[in-house]
Amino acid sequence: MPIISICRGTKSGGQAVAKCLAKQLRYPLVAREVVQEAASDLGVSEADLSRGMERTPRLWNRQSMERRLYIAAVRAALAEHVAGGDLIYHGRAGQVLLAGLPGVLKVRLIAPMGTRVKALMESDGMDSTSAEQYIRHVDGVRARWVRMMYGEDVEDPVLYNMVINLKTLSIPAACTIVTKAAEQPDFAVTDEVKARLIDFRLACRVKLGLARARDTRALNLQIEAHGGIVDVSGAAPALSSGKTGEQIVEVARSIQGVEEVRLRVEWFDPYP
Amino acid sequence: MPIITISRGTLSGGQRTAECLAGALGYPCVGREILQEAARKVGVPVEDLSGKLEARPSLFARLTQERKRYLLAVQTALAEHGATGRLVYHGLAGQFLLRDLPGVLTARLIAPLEMRVRTLTSSHHRMTRKAAEEFVHNVDEERRRWVKLMYGADVEDPSLYDLTVNLESISLETACVIIAEAAAQPQYEVTDDVKKRLEDFATACREQLLQAGGG
Repeated sequence: MPIISICRGTKSGGQAVAKCLAKQLRYPLVAREVVQEAASDLGVSEADLSRGMERTPRLWNRQSMERRLYIAAVRAALAEHVAGGDLIYHGRAGQVLLAGLPGVLKVRLIAPMGTRVKALMESDGMDSTSAEQYIRHVDGVRARWVRMMYGEDVEDPVLYNMVINLKTLSIPAACTIVTKAAEQPDFAVTDEVKARLIDFRLACRVKLGLARARDTRALNLQIEAHGGIVDVSGAAPALSSGKTGEQIVEVARSIQGVEEVRLRVEWFDPYP
Repeated sequence: MPIITISRGTLSGGQRTAECLAGALGYPCVGREILQEAARKVGVPVEDLSGKLEARPSLFARLTQERKRYLLAVQTALAEHGATGRLVYHGLAGQFLLRDLPGVLTARLIAPLEMRVRTLTSSHHRMTRKAAEEFVHNVDEERRRWVKLMYGADVEDPSLYDLTVNLESISLETACVIIAEAAAQPQYEVTDDVKKRLEDFATACREQLLQAGGG
């Protein structure tokens, strides 16, 4: 059975569906934990990490480096869970953090505004106007974040394998439908898929390592792993020291599981 | 099990999924043939009806009254098929024509452009890649504008459907299994009450069409 990633707006019933799935499939449920784990790994508070990730980017290198580090840490924390398989993830941006990975069923849950407002009024004792305002605010923040980070529209059904509307369908019904989908051969976790998930974890570890190391943290490089072989690509400035390449290899090689590093970086002149 | 409507872009595998569902559930499967029935109801050739119904938005104003009557004829034909609660429909605007009725599951299929283009460039159609891309784009665009004008909605909006299935990594067979599972949920059970609502809806459509001078 695949990893199931549930994306939803606040009070859309997604959390209840995730819980139902975890219970039915006896899978662990992971959401905020990945942010907590990333924060503890980096030695920052969860609040600082969340804020840093959500900060609107400016042309200020230190901020964008910090954001890259935080995101790399969250993705790496998620990749550790994912490599073990059998997981329900209903945290932040699963559909983009896990984009392109096989063995992941990406589901979005939507619900009419009226239903969401009612749910928030019941859970938090808000009046309907402030409940709707709150929901629109949170939706807006999340949509902007996904657009800023990944250039994607969080509502675009193309990002998901399926979108379930809880207008008519109940939460247990959605849970049954997702389970049925997860059982289909399209999402089978074969040995090949398992190997890809493990490669993904290694690539995320290397990316995080590079984002942490003093000599490489300013670089924005793409990492791919195949077995223990790691390909590093992207564009980087050719500095006068001429050592950046060596530094990348050194950092990458220090990561557990890396056997070989293939450097495919395009060097450019930072002062043309 | 309810009526199932399947909305999709051109060449997105809608018809095959609809046929698969109809086969699995033992339901009749209806698509564009609904237009023929509608044409008979208003006594015009089917080409006239579909031409005016799907006319470019620039011609809309001139055709308003006629188009409304034609659309009503389509809705009536569909409602008559759906009165038993056993139907898979993959034709025009099912999600709007049967809107807010109980016992109706509205599904949408989406497919990556690449997959749709490949169908047209295959040996059967032999289109060039560029022509195929243009064709898919134009049909999508016209359908989008049509839906916007007729119903003020965005045909791609997932909130119009109970279920949207992306065929990028899901096979048609799996899409069929997933939609059938959704249809089996108690929310879509066609109880006697629901059946009555569907029958009443068909009757109401017929009466409206009679008043509008067709049927």
